[in-house]
Amino acid sequence: MEIKFGLISSDSHGQLGPDAYTSRMSAQKWGERIPHVIEARDEKFPHPVERWMVHGEVQGGNVCNCPTAMSERGYYPQRWEEVPREVYDPAQRLLALDRDRVDAEVLFPNGPGGTFFYDDPAFELDCVKAYNDGMAEYRQASDRFIPLAVIPYMSPIETIVAEVERAVQAGHLGINMLADPSTAVQGLKNLGDAFWHPLWSACQELGIGIHLHASAGLAGKLSLPQWKGFSRRQAHCVSTLRNFCTATQIVPYLIFSGMLEKFPGLNWVFAETGLGWVSSVLEACEQAWEKNRLWNEGIKTRPSELFRRQIYVDFWFETVGIELRDFIGVDRILWESDFPHITSTYPDSWDAVEHSLQGVAPADREKVLFRNAARLYRLQID
Amino acid sequence: MALPHGVISADDHACEHPELWTRRMSRQKWGERVPHVETRADGARVWMIDGKPAGFFGADILESAAAHSAGARLEAMDRDGIDYSVLYPTASGMSGECFGRLDDIELASACVQAYNDWLIEEWTRVSPRFVPQCIVPLWPMERAVAEIRRAVKAGHRGVIYPASPMELKKVPHINEPDYDPLWSVCQELNVPLCFHSGASPKIQMRPDRNFSPAAARAFSGIVRSVSTIAVVANFLFSKVLYRFPQLKVVFAEGSLGWAAYEMQYADYQSAADGLGREGYSLKPSELFQRQCYFTCWYDRESLRMRRYVGSGNILWSSHFPVEGSAWPSARERRDSAFAGVPEIERRQIQWENAARLYSL
Repeated sequence: MEIKFGLISSDSHGQLGPDAYTSRMSAQKWGERIPHVIEARDEKFPHPVERWMVHGEVQGGNVCNCPTAMSERGYYPQRWEEVPREVYDPAQRLLALDRDRVDAEVLFPNGPGGTFFYDDPAFELDCVKAYNDGMAEYRQASDRFIPLAVIPYMSPIETIVAEVERAVQAGHLGINMLADPSTAVQGLKNLGDAFWHPLWSACQELGIGIHLHASAGLAGKLSLPQWKGFSRRQAHCVSTLRNFCTATQIVPYLIFSGMLEKFPGLNWVFAETGLGWVSSVLEACEQAWEKNRLWNEGIKTRPSELFRRQIYVDFWFETVGIELRDFIGVDRILWESDFPHITSTYPDSWDAVEHSLQGVAPADREKVLFRNAARLYRLQID
Repeated sequence: MALPHGVISADDHACEHPELWTRRMSRQKWGERVPHVETRADGARVWMIDGKPAGFFGADILESAAAHSAGARLEAMDRDGIDYSVLYPTASGMSGECFGRLDDIELASACVQAYNDWLIEEWTRVSPRFVPQCIVPLWPMERAVAEIRRAVKAGHRGVIYPASPMELKKVPHINEPDYDPLWSVCQELNVPLCFHSGASPKIQMRPDRNFSPAAARAFSGIVRSVSTIAVVANFLFSKVLYRFPQLKVVFAEGSLGWAAYEMQYADYQSAADGLGREGYSLKPSELFQRQCYFTCWYDRESLRMRRYVGSGNILWSSHFPVEGSAWPSARERRDSAFAGVPEIERRQIQWENAARLYSL
């Protein structure tokens, strides 16, 4: 692909259109359970709104999470006709990339998309296939899109692996996962469980990374109970701010569980977690590793070396983590725009880039802005 | 005050003596419910509180006399170049949370009082180099306030409260005005309110069964420390600091590590969410600098980011003797971490801020 602007977003959110699931799933088999957009009532609005409905459950809040793509920034569309095409139509979306002067973007889900937990593994599998097929069309439309597959958690591991292989064949360049599936659905296994080993092997073999986005499903677990007295905006701010709790705990988990040692060619990518916490977590891991002589217990490689071998982290607004880049490892840092979510730098991403990267040498700038991403996703650039 | 080393450690732990409560509470009244140490069949020593095994701290580090005896601790402090040591509990929970879980508030109050008395009588009376901080009955607030008044009068200089009481017992959310008497009494008595990490085990990932014991210990120490990220995220937006502008709050245990990032993120995200229109007249980082403190230890990288937090808002600690402590090489780790920090800021972080905060 051509690098025209010198910027790849390693965390954006790709939306599927309202017929993405109905056109791909069997109406005979699933009927009204197929994800689709319906007319609904929301007490916050005087007029009828539209919402996604999945397996008979209405998804709350808005019909599409794209407040930075709206002409009134911060407004969440309530009816599908309000959603700009650049959010869900690949051809139009390229124009938004051009406007923001971004060459390519990694596509995480936008609802409904990440998980389909409705106590029905067969339904989940068909939804996952429809999602992965729909998102693969982004890649088929342009190599500027880097879609990530989701997995059918409730299926046997062989089915999960087969779906990942199928998705990669169709154009996906990574998978997006929950940080701890065992907390989402009873009976699922946590990341350290040997259940997942065939998946790790397959991803290592395929050369694709495991992506954990923001709290990766643990927002409600690794934080205080949310206070009911917060307004919607306050609650959003608090819940967003605490999301990086997951990454600060999962990175030590990957290190001390021995998973990184066991699958030394597998990359783990932390999206929307920022960077500024990494050096202190690594310092604490190193202190603990030395003090407990953990090289005697299977953790043979120094924690900071493991990190720099197998973990990537994203940033978008900060200067803190950039100042700490040498200890984090400048080869492990990725930039993200988070388009079209509320925290996104769109459409002024380069202002944010320049703010963050003051004083960074040109070669290091190129690494964090696009070269590291090109290496991770094995993009042919130049 | 004498400061031959120029160092105050603002987050250390007194380890409760095995007979702390049995000596101070009526056996006739409480029987086996009094906190005590039992030796299990496999030889492990465990703390029993209200007749049940409690927590996981304390009994296993009692082997070191410096953990639970003031005299031996002073020698350890001399070796590590530490003049004063601010004390948090251990077996009681690092925020005193073990007693907060008890259903019987009479028992909880008696346990709390015994701890607070022990700390004054067995530590501070041995040496003024120990800075005592009281633990508090979780609920009801009248009882919490009464114990704080009693303890501060007896010499306590800080107040330790679990950051998420609603996860210990069916009590209101920490942001509710029900807790205003707590903030108010600390502000009135000019003692800092201290949230130590570990008060809410639910917000810490647990090591898997297949972790080796040493790896599990290492992992638990790290996730305990970072779990305070969620506490800070909530507290900064709770508006408690707006209602009590003189209140001082300490977030203890290695919290400087992610502080610069959390402050910058809070400023960015609150602006993105438009919170300036919802009664937050200060940026989160400004509010924090007005009233809050983070603790650091051997973390050189986060000290480099001190300007985001403010050198006046950072307290150094050795965190003796818990997992994560730099002891027994705290002196070397400290010197190495502070290489490159100008003298005026080194003094602030290593003792001046703590001396002012605790009115030493």
